[in-house]
Amino acid sequence: MESIVSFCFAILAAPLLSAIIMKVKAYIAGRKGPPILIKYYTLAKLFKKGSVYSTSSSFVFKLGPVVSFCSVLMVLLFFPFAGIKPLLSFHGDVIILLYLMGLGRFFTIIAALDTASPFEGMGAAREAYFSTLAEATLFVILLLFFRLNGAFSFAAFFTGPTAINLWSPAASLLLLVIVALFVVLLTENSRVPVDDPATHLELTMIHEVMILDHSGPDLALIELGAYLKLFFYSAFITCLLYPFQLDNVYLNGLIFYGIMGLIYVLVGITESIMARYKMNLVPKFILTSFALVFFATILTMEFVQ
Amino acid sequence: MDTFFLSLAVIICGGVLPLIMHRHFTIMKAGCCVLIAAGCMLGFIDALSLLLHPGVAATYSLPWLHIFTLSFQMDSISAFFLVPIFIISPLAVLYSFHYMEKPEHSFRTAINYFFNAILIVSMALVACADNIPTFALAWEIMSISSYFLVVYDYQNKETRQAGYLYFIFAQGGAMFLFAAFALIYCYTGSFAFTGFAAIPDTVKLVVFVLAFIGFGSKAGIFPLHIWLPYAHPAAPSHISAVMSGVMIKMGIYGIIRIYALLAVPSMIFGQIVLIVGMVTGVLGVVYALGNQDVKKLLAYSSVENIGIILIGLGVGMIGVASGTDAMAFFGFAGAFMHVFNHSIFKSLLFMGAGAVLHKAKTRSIDQLGGLLKRMPVTGRTFLVGSLAISGLPPFSGFIGEFLIYYASFQGIHLQRTAFILSALAIISLAVIGGLATACFTKVVGLAFLGEPRTDKAAHASEVGFSMKLTMIFLAAACLLIGILPEPFVRLAFRGIADLPLVGTYNPDIFMDILRNIAKTAALFIALFLAVSILRKLLYWRKEVSAGPTWGCGFTRPTVRMQYTGTSYAASMIDFYRPFVPVKTLYSGIRKIFPGQTTYHTEVIDVAETNMHGKIVRPLFKLLQMLHWIQHGHIQLYIGYIVLTIVVMLLFL
Repeated sequence: MESIVSFCFAILAAPLLSAIIMKVKAYIAGRKGPPILIKYYTLAKLFKKGSVYSTSSSFVFKLGPVVSFCSVLMVLLFFPFAGIKPLLSFHGDVIILLYLMGLGRFFTIIAALDTASPFEGMGAAREAYFSTLAEATLFVILLLFFRLNGAFSFAAFFTGPTAINLWSPAASLLLLVIVALFVVLLTENSRVPVDDPATHLELTMIHEVMILDHSGPDLALIELGAYLKLFFYSAFITCLLYPFQLDNVYLNGLIFYGIMGLIYVLVGITESIMARYKMNLVPKFILTSFALVFFATILTMEFVQ
Repeated sequence: MDTFFLSLAVIICGGVLPLIMHRHFTIMKAGCCVLIAAGCMLGFIDALSLLLHPGVAATYSLPWLHIFTLSFQMDSISAFFLVPIFIISPLAVLYSFHYMEKPEHSFRTAINYFFNAILIVSMALVACADNIPTFALAWEIMSISSYFLVVYDYQNKETRQAGYLYFIFAQGGAMFLFAAFALIYCYTGSFAFTGFAAIPDTVKLVVFVLAFIGFGSKAGIFPLHIWLPYAHPAAPSHISAVMSGVMIKMGIYGIIRIYALLAVPSMIFGQIVLIVGMVTGVLGVVYALGNQDVKKLLAYSSVENIGIILIGLGVGMIGVASGTDAMAFFGFAGAFMHVFNHSIFKSLLFMGAGAVLHKAKTRSIDQLGGLLKRMPVTGRTFLVGSLAISGLPPFSGFIGEFLIYYASFQGIHLQRTAFILSALAIISLAVIGGLATACFTKVVGLAFLGEPRTDKAAHASEVGFSMKLTMIFLAAACLLIGILPEPFVRLAFRGIADLPLVGTYNPDIFMDILRNIAKTAALFIALFLAVSILRKLLYWRKEVSAGPTWGCGFTRPTVRMQYTGTSYAASMIDFYRPFVPVKTLYSGIRKIFPGQTTYHTEVIDVAETNMHGKIVRPLFKLLQMLHWIQHGHIQLYIGYIVLTIVVMLLFL
């Protein structure tokens, strides 16, 4: 029961948290910014509308939003929010979940290519390229965690007596992991400095240009999926930062969402003070995260016996 | 073994029939299909029953030429490799029913069927051979029959060159194999396989390396893969499907067999296989990404998958050497599973590529586009095959890769080298997975989706019934293995039962994980259906209209402005530049009113250029110095023969 509530709450809270980024950016730029519930209004508006489909597109175009949304939803089903046991979990679930995200990406890319638009093709090529690099980082993180406590599922990483967090013996390594994960978060969710979701020129976008032709409920599914994906990566970092060992579930939840909010604020600050990198610098940026976690893994050869 | 030989006899009959009846084109094809299918079905049942009811391995032997004994043995490893041979080959023959549709080439088609039957039989014999002469004989028949299949279109110069290249690699590889066998014979003095374990350990290493090179040139390990991207595009598509799906796996079979026979738990074997596997896998997929010729791309993708299989084997061997049972067990099981899966989706993809080539008359992705609407069945099955080969759940490719991941993760708790290698295995699997996704989104997205880039693609239409049927069957198999993996994984576990040093492990804990994976896949599908229905409801009574693609403010887009395969892959190829150089020929624009300009870009295979520059050319120079021996006088040639015989009689 607790798990179901926690899962539903996560889905409901994700759009709100995403709005925090907009608010922070507006605040730093000296503007008032949109209302905090803006993302819910956007979703409601999109769900109410109809759609226009390109004559070039086929059924794959309509499949794209559904598959990518489902893949993110699957990941959330297996993730322990605020130390609460997830709805589902088994030894080895991390691999199938990462691959399901890959499936979502596969369909997003081919849905973009289905429109026959050169701009969307360009975005698709970049998405495919950068995600191969980010995926390598994630797998190194998995193997590092496996070496640290032999866990092979999100639930086992972050719950139980041997949970991996900044207060455990291998904390120094986790500092590297957290920085790397933040880079992966920025990459996978198309944030500055990898991608600029708010730019006005399609040529310079990655993710936004891939969904140019989607409209109405299809677009709403994509947007919601994007909020959930950002939510997942932030929760990943949050779990590393803070172990949830208090007896009071509500207090745990409060601290959890507090830290989540801080991460979103950090994303907002990053976006405000940085410009997007030139495209040829982005791979180096992502590879930095790989180097960090690989270094952490090598260090375990001496420290973890 | 009686059923097995009966099935081979039926297949041979199926091959000989077209030679006799080549004047009746359609009857010949139908008869051949039926006989080969019947024979393969028989063989399949035999192999499967041995896998399902493990017992004593079946053996059979007969004397040959008074000197050699031909002996055969079917243990669980052979039986497992027989399964794809007997499933994929008849489907490929069935596919060819509508693919080979030129009655004016009736006799040539008949010969193609004949060699196809010989190829099937020889592959089955390779898998069952139980001593050196039998194995060598079957291996050579396999190489030669497949050579004749490759050069089907012999009037084309490129095909002849491709065939020649394949022939050189097949025979060069065989040379290494014979060297390995000869070395073994020096120590054991017998042709039997059973004596291999008795030779000294240092010699075993040499034997293994020689055999690895020999088998590797057949399987397509880097840098011995050069023949694949030439031979596969040159061969008819159903032959590419069999060669890539099944025949190159015989190289893998050979590596496994020689490892099992040498029976030495040394770390170095695993290290060699694993490192070669990682290099092969990553470079294979990068080259696949760089090529715009669909069949060439698929050939490189086979190289990649051989890499994945070798990673599995290498991890398994390291597991054996370090005494980590689970690692050994799942490494080998994963490799076996991937052999099986790859045979299915790779032949499906080659058949899809064949269908495209058949109707659109071009293999270049940059000239295709929009085929999904024109060839609905081919397009959809190709999409399924692409998802499977990218290792994405809920399709078959994921299961094999998951087993290999699982094995590699078991090695994470080891120390030093074994740990580093396990970690590298995981990272390279992840990189290969990501790049394979990029590669196959390219094929599906650019060849099948969007708008046709040329008239050829615009006028393509759906292929014949038998081609559609085989592709649908294979695509269904990809999905079935993905959502109900348990029986197939059990089959792979049975397959490794006769491998020495593994097999004591109890896989029950893993079966729980596997069931959970199946459940997750099912849940995903259920979720997908639920969201699809939700989407339908959201569109209930809403205005849905069609319009042109948003051109970002540009009002006159043309189909030629679409992203091409070259541009899609450019930045990724650039990342791997030292290993994947790109040759660009650009005439440039120099005048104020430029005339016709040309632009050509091509990915260079470093293995090919280096082998050509560093081995073939010096060798050629050296051999030219011996040119005076060849002068064309037959009397002197007879003299050479007599001289050789005299020398041999006197000194040996």
